[in-house]
Amino acid sequence: MADTIAWEKVFDRAQERAQKENLPILLFFHNPD
Amino acid sequence: MDAVTYPDKKVIDFVNKNYIPLQVPFDAEPLSKDFNIKWTPSLITLGTDKQEHHRSVGFLDPDAFIAVSLIGIGKYHFDNDRYPTALTYFEKIISDHPQSDNAPEAIFLRGVSQYKKTGSSVPLKKAYESLSSQYPESEWTKKAYPYRLL
Repeated sequence: MADTIAWEKVFDRAQERAQKENLPILLFFHNPD
Repeated sequence: MDAVTYPDKKVIDFVNKNYIPLQVPFDAEPLSKDFNIKWTPSLITLGTDKQEHHRSVGFLDPDAFIAVSLIGIGKYHFDNDRYPTALTYFEKIISDHPQSDNAPEAIFLRGVSQYKKTGSSVPLKKAYESLSSQYPESEWTKKAYPYRLL
């Protein structure tokens, strides 16, 4: 549950930056292994 | 991509200039469910409203990564009716990445953007002519096929 909340917050921060800087977001999903 | 593409200086400079980047594991919920991730690497260009404009799945070398990113940013502007800005990205793919898989789509969308900007159908016909001569086997040539009659 803690992990779920963390990723939402991370995305929210990226979205805030994107709105402030008027840039699109590049979302990379990767397999860290 | 972690070993080859992401450390490439061209890629780093391009991403820092043009995007807010966010790298997450494929199983990072709720994002992986929200974006229906089934395979990695998956690269998604999103608007500030979380709207998806372009998605690429599978390995990309640095040049292919930049071409995919350019089409993503072009479509981000195209979908928001900013045709002159979108055109700059489509033109860059056509001039700098003509061998990329994204070049035919860029020619198609350049024609549509010019049509939207000017109201003239000439760019649509030119898009078909360019596609049929340079990329005859592309799906985008088939999609532009009706424009030959304009």
